[in-house]
Amino acid sequence: MLSQRSLVIGISLVPAAAIVGLLLIPLWVSVRVESEAGVSFGLRAYHTLFSDPFSYRTLFNTAVFSGVAVLAALFFGVPAAWIVERTNLPRKGLLFTLMTVGLLIPGFLSAMGWVFLLHPRIGLVNVALSSILSAEWARINIASPAGMGFVQGLGLAPLAFIMVAATFRSTNPELEEAAAAHGIGVIRVLVRVTLPLVFPGILAAGIYILTIGLAAFDVPAVIGLSNRVFTFSTFLYTQVHPQEGTPRYDLAAAFGVFVMAIAGLLSWGYFRVLRQSHRFAVVTGRSYRPRQVELKRSSVWFAWGFLGFYLVIGQLLPLLTLLWSSLLRYFQLPSAAAFANLSLVNYRGLPWPHLFDGLWNTALLMIFVSTLVLLLSLGISWIVVRSRARGRFLLDVVAFLPHAVPGIIFALSAAYVALFLLRDFVPIYGTVFLLMAVYVLERTSFGTRMLNNALAQIHPELEEAGQVMGISLLRRMATILVPLLLPALVNGWLWIALLTYRELTIASLLVTPANVTLPMVIWGLWQTGSFARAAAAATMGLIFMLPVIFCYWFFGRRLAPGGGQT
Amino acid sequence: MIHIEKLNKSFSSKAGDVQALREIDLAVEAGEFFVLLGPSGSGKTTLLRCVAGLERPDSGEINLGARIAFSSRQRLFIPAEQREIGMVFQSYAIWPHLTVFENVALPLTQGRRKPPKAQVRERVRQALRLVDMDDYADRPAPLLSGGQQQRVALARALAVNPKLLLMDEPLSNLDARLREEVRTKIKKLVSELGITVLYVTHDQVEAMVLADRIAVMAHGEILQAGNPYELYRHPHSSLVAEFFGSMNWLRGKVLDKQCIETEIGKIEVAPYSERNGKVVVGIRPEDIKIDSAAGGSANRLEATVSSSTFIGDQMIFEMKIGNSVLTVKTMPDDKRPEGKVHICLPKESLVVFTDVSLD
Repeated sequence: MLSQRSLVIGISLVPAAAIVGLLLIPLWVSVRVESEAGVSFGLRAYHTLFSDPFSYRTLFNTAVFSGVAVLAALFFGVPAAWIVERTNLPRKGLLFTLMTVGLLIPGFLSAMGWVFLLHPRIGLVNVALSSILSAEWARINIASPAGMGFVQGLGLAPLAFIMVAATFRSTNPELEEAAAAHGIGVIRVLVRVTLPLVFPGILAAGIYILTIGLAAFDVPAVIGLSNRVFTFSTFLYTQVHPQEGTPRYDLAAAFGVFVMAIAGLLSWGYFRVLRQSHRFAVVTGRSYRPRQVELKRSSVWFAWGFLGFYLVIGQLLPLLTLLWSSLLRYFQLPSAAAFANLSLVNYRGLPWPHLFDGLWNTALLMIFVSTLVLLLSLGISWIVVRSRARGRFLLDVVAFLPHAVPGIIFALSAAYVALFLLRDFVPIYGTVFLLMAVYVLERTSFGTRMLNNALAQIHPELEEAGQVMGISLLRRMATILVPLLLPALVNGWLWIALLTYRELTIASLLVTPANVTLPMVIWGLWQTGSFARAAAAATMGLIFMLPVIFCYWFFGRRLAPGGGQT
Repeated sequence: MIHIEKLNKSFSSKAGDVQALREIDLAVEAGEFFVLLGPSGSGKTTLLRCVAGLERPDSGEINLGARIAFSSRQRLFIPAEQREIGMVFQSYAIWPHLTVFENVALPLTQGRRKPPKAQVRERVRQALRLVDMDDYADRPAPLLSGGQQQRVALARALAVNPKLLLMDEPLSNLDARLREEVRTKIKKLVSELGITVLYVTHDQVEAMVLADRIAVMAHGEILQAGNPYELYRHPHSSLVAEFFGSMNWLRGKVLDKQCIETEIGKIEVAPYSERNGKVVVGIRPEDIKIDSAAGGSANRLEATVSSSTFIGDQMIFEMKIGNSVLTVKTMPDDKRPEGKVHICLPKESLVVFTDVSLD
């Protein structure tokens, strides 16, 4: 009889095998040369790729884009983390909530807002600058690698904040108190003691964000594509969905393989630095009250000023601009005349049946993807953390891979598999099931990270007690582990649902009119130049999202453990 | 009830493989209270977990009752959930999301040993009554004190009517006074129920109070097994002797079958066999007699009292003979020996072992 343990291991191996398979596909596709004489294998795709200056420009753009994104994210995230963890700033809880919600605002919505604000020709700010100051030189071009990187960085700052705050929290404040007790001032303690202690943590966060920046699709797709500024992900997209000619899967795959190698290196660096940073972590488990720097009244104003500045430009301003634009036929600066022109015409002009199709599919995906991810992750995490199965660490690494590897590569592989390998047996292309499968694989990395942590917090004897009393593995999971993990599971479910809601990268390569998602409807309007209607659809999207965000805020007071966004 | 043969178990760690159990042979009779005693890292918990089925041994055989639970030769391993045992864990492992009642009931409703539904309630009540926790049935687990959790853990283990009860340092998280109280209760309860108990502890007093028989373990081996009196009075090695209370050790050289030249002079010992060369002679502090009027007996020595401590039910002296220091315990009385005294080392109280120390 098949034991329940073998059953759990068997089921967990399915996504692991699928992940490995999808990662090998680009390797295979990139060396496959199709010609009239038949199929052969060679490095032609790599040769084509690396003899084209456009590839190098794309690489350079990607480097600038992700570099600026990391700097911007850390510039806002690190001071915010210090203020929250190490000062007595009033109303800190509010900040945590705002930052977490900020992480969930879809990147492409903010990016659309920023286009309305800073587009070189039509952006509100640029128009205002040139009309009021007639300062042509002061125009800011958001449609540049650095500009897009800044927008991406604003979106990633909450992630930097959460990761670095965790580092601050786990760093023994007694080390700082010792310095303070010996008469060293606040600033010097910060520079000489605190920062060196948390530096590895900040570095780890930086590398983590760099990996995300490298793979980012939303912002470059919204801002860059129409202005012909490409980064890695959008380059891949245009190879598969070219405006003219046939799709070049081989070139896309070759570029994908190259970037996978870089992403692999970054992940390796991330884990090395992370291990380093744990050297300074508190391991006693003893509870303590961190020392808090007393802020003077002026400093409180300064701190909230800094945080408020971020919240306004990072979150509020682009979304308000989006709302404003959705109510106008064409862009105008806020003025009495503009207010008089406000109307719902864009909303009335929305392709509502299409929008509801997208909403329906997105809702289905949110429910099923979150549930499936948690079920699979529970199995995988149990094997990794609890079972003594051989090769369990390899399983853990495989489950982490979807985080390290850009999502667009997964989408590319999945599209290729569904279109060319599976079409005749399993006609999955163009169905919501294909999206579901790839989303699940992609999110398993997050699910297992979260459940590994949560499971490690549960004393193994709680489960063993059930085992020796004769309770089988599946029943132990149902009656002991799941109830004990419930807070983490609820939190994770909502988090994954929200990430699924905003997912655009994978959808961009796998969506057809038959399985359209809400973000794709919005982006589709944007791509065809219906900016005002896209803004209206985006506003509708935000409104649909509010109940889920509220649930997250209401149920999931506990924060998702470091890193949610991919 | 438990028969273990040639059991081996190793763990691989970063520092290399650690042999946790080496060629363990053990037999526990039905109805016996058997204690595994040893310092941390001696392998006693690993042995218990192998019996429970929570660890899979590398080789050997474990029989529980008439059933083979593990046999490397037959490639057989019965997992813990099928071994029909009860177990009390060091952390108690009380499920925090359930009440006291639900904790005891869960194995009865979800486990393999399900009684008919109608009986569950009564079985749980009965088990809780055994440990005097029936008034707390509806209390959520997180609201229990350490001692109460311990009792619920015991009730939960007993509710499944196990033939074999395993206990992993169940008292180590209780404070000293409570420990003594619970110790007595456990002993009374399991002897009334007549179940076999395998019990792990590092506390020699606890072991002696509870056990019918004790196995002393170190470095993954059983050094000696026997009843508490045998182990205390007739240890097979200096390690076992030392584990049961303090010992005075004297280095020496064998002169003949009954006489040893030690650092404090010639000492007569009971006849022993097959020991020659370097030996150590041991005597318990309470076996040394001070100023024994019954002179004339062997091993009478002159010593100087260098310190004396009164701890209520005992007096403890440090006595110097030459450069050697002996610890002596006596019943307190009015006399307080001072200065030079005579002490006597009765030869029937002496133990002799080959000196294996390297220095």
